[in-house]
Amino acid sequence: MSLSRSPSPRREGGWSSPGLTTPYDDSNGRSRSPRKAYGGLESPGGGGGGGVTWASAKANSARVNGYPSYQSQNKGFFSRHMRKLSESLPYFAHGGQEDRFAEKEKLGRGRRGGLGGSWKDVPARIALLLSRRRKYLALVVLAFLAVLLWFSKPITYWYRRSSMFGGGSKFVIILGANQGGGVMEWKGAREWAIERDSVKNKKKYAAEWGYELEIVDMSTKKRYAHEWRESWEKVDVIRNSMRKYPDAEWFWWLDLNTFVMEPSYSLQKHIFNDLGATTYRDINVYNPLNVHHPPNGTSGDPDSPEYQNYLDPLTSSPVGDNLPESINLIVPQDCGGFNLGSFFVRRSAWSDRLLDVWWDPVFYEQRHMEWEHKEQDALEYIYTNQPWIRPHTAFIPQRSINAFPQGACGDDKGLPKGGCASLKATDDPQECGIQGVHYQESERDFLVNMAGCEWGRDCWGEMYNFRQLSNRLNRSLWEKFKDGISEWWEGKEEGKNKKKSG
Amino acid sequence: MMQFPYPRKTSQPQAYTSARASTLHRRRSLRNLLPYLLSGLALFVFIIYLFRPSSPTPPDRNPPPGTSKVVIVTPIDPSLSPSHANDIKENRRDYAQRHGYETFFPSTEDYDLMPNVPSTWATVPALRHALTLHPHTQWLFYLTPTALIMNTREPLSDKVLTPSKLESLMIVDKPVVPPDSVIKTFSHLKGERVDFVLAQDHDGLAGGSLLIRNTDWAKFFLDAWFDPLYRSYNFQKAEGHALEHIVQWHGTVLAKLALVPQRVLNSYTRDTGSSGEGIYQEGDFVANFHGCARDAARNCEEEMKPLMSRWRELRDGQRG
Repeated sequence: MSLSRSPSPRREGGWSSPGLTTPYDDSNGRSRSPRKAYGGLESPGGGGGGGVTWASAKANSARVNGYPSYQSQNKGFFSRHMRKLSESLPYFAHGGQEDRFAEKEKLGRGRRGGLGGSWKDVPARIALLLSRRRKYLALVVLAFLAVLLWFSKPITYWYRRSSMFGGGSKFVIILGANQGGGVMEWKGAREWAIERDSVKNKKKYAAEWGYELEIVDMSTKKRYAHEWRESWEKVDVIRNSMRKYPDAEWFWWLDLNTFVMEPSYSLQKHIFNDLGATTYRDINVYNPLNVHHPPNGTSGDPDSPEYQNYLDPLTSSPVGDNLPESINLIVPQDCGGFNLGSFFVRRSAWSDRLLDVWWDPVFYEQRHMEWEHKEQDALEYIYTNQPWIRPHTAFIPQRSINAFPQGACGDDKGLPKGGCASLKATDDPQECGIQGVHYQESERDFLVNMAGCEWGRDCWGEMYNFRQLSNRLNRSLWEKFKDGISEWWEGKEEGKNKKKSG
Repeated sequence: MMQFPYPRKTSQPQAYTSARASTLHRRRSLRNLLPYLLSGLALFVFIIYLFRPSSPTPPDRNPPPGTSKVVIVTPIDPSLSPSHANDIKENRRDYAQRHGYETFFPSTEDYDLMPNVPSTWATVPALRHALTLHPHTQWLFYLTPTALIMNTREPLSDKVLTPSKLESLMIVDKPVVPPDSVIKTFSHLKGERVDFVLAQDHDGLAGGSLLIRNTDWAKFFLDAWFDPLYRSYNFQKAEGHALEHIVQWHGTVLAKLALVPQRVLNSYTRDTGSSGEGIYQEGDFVANFHGCARDAARNCEEEMKPLMSRWRELRDGQRG
């Protein structure tokens, strides 16, 4: 449409510019603006008689209203540019000729629709929305949506992985398979089954959130020149993983006998987004090992000068600097001390040092008979005796990343009525809070660790039960519905049988 | 063409374009370009934000003005005669005063060592204590009480600590414990990365004179060195052997270590080896009466007297 000058309202109303009053203004005779062409539909009452064209109707209404509905001001970006945008879209081959027919048909329909309430013209509105050129756009949008839907899984995966959005690739799960295997003992069918289940569970979880999964073979091998280091491989394995995933930040060690009960929890949301609140720094808060903090003398002589007297305030502070950024190691504590069945290490210069001093031949030589739990006891030792470790270590309530099954750590003390949320400060915390150790179904604990099941307990049985429980807890709505019906039916049948027998 | 719903042109062509109109036009076109410029700028900032270094520089890296760059640490055994102890302190204080350093002379009994542990172990907590008392110092300079600073002219920065100087002095790819330790000093190490400088004598690391940079690494290193299991292990040379042990077994320590020629930091007054390389000559920085305290047949105070008076002569000569 080319106007030689700006349209101006005439004194008696209406428009002086002829170009605006007819939809067929183009040299091709093609309607430039179908929305206007169907304008009559939008106000079915204004149309009047059958042969009335849009142009005359518009002129009429303009006269009645006294001012033009067409505004020459620039109303905004879209009003200014929409025409240009839509113009750049290609036209369909059969130009205005068919438009005209279509318009007439639709005008007729519009009149019929005009009799009823406003909802009756909904199909007409849809048709309007889907006018030919918009149809094209709609098709594109639809195709785009279809592609999104079709690739929704890879797209969410990519999104969750990317370091910019989800950040999943910043986490590496290290799963120690084959622990103590190899030359020490043979694997039976149950051991294989446990391994298969556990690995499958971690694979699923890692894929769900876009984490890296590193499954490592922990079987005892003659790997070192100094053979005494055997079964201390956790440290080396973490170091190797750090080398293998140079962009990852957090490394999560998991023993094989663990099971992710709630795969819908992401590590970020569960722990890392609010690291200051999900962890605690002060070991005096929960201290099953009775580690003295601030550190005291090592001579055992109560009259000796304080060990503390030479340490800087940051090191002797019970919480370090208390900034979540300074946390480099996250360890859960069970009823007996640190538990390394599930713990986090962050890549940093500090962790390099920790992983470096964790194993030392002089320590080993003096203590390997006492340190039954190898790395775990060694970590407890260096935490107690080397003050530089403390300001960068945080503890996490056992139940949030490493819940034990009933009986693994004394008796399950149960939950207060109404769950942990209803707990008051004066109440006995039972399994709630920092001292809670055992898995609580109603609190939907994240991960269960069947620690120590290889000594006199049934690992496979426990794993099986927890797997079933996890599946049941995480059923979809539809599955719940189906199961509900079948349970109801079974209940009814049982009732009948009881009546019969009774 | 500007984007308006319709061209804004009258049918009458303008007779001329005034200068004012053209600047107006230019201003308009500028205004039109502005969004693009802004978005370009935003993109640029965003890209910079994406590729920024992940670790922001710690804010308290800059020491408050007036803090000294080096703290000289010498633990004093309370069994020394007071005059001798005073001479040793005076010797350090003089050097510190010349170059604006601090001194720290704790007693070896200040710290809780385990029973039956040599008092020389107090070195390690003393260094940690110095870090606590001077949190903004850049370096710690430990000097054993059996050594004297003989050449006070050069500050430590010129002598060793400047990265370029350190790189020129560093002995690389050398067995840490001579003659045949498989652990050798790093062959590619930047001067700025070095946190720990010491010399080597004929049978190992010469721990009588150490330079440690004040970093988180220093805390780690000192705490690890002071571990109770090392103290209880009965290393023959106590903390000296423990030091050799951790340097050889722990890569994170070795990676911060630079060995310098012995006479730069730690000349010995007596030759205890065959080569005679590290023997003190007039003009050397430090004269160390190495082994005089450990050997019951020797008397440190007597041995040190001649050089002590020589140091006084030098000092007074320089002052006069």
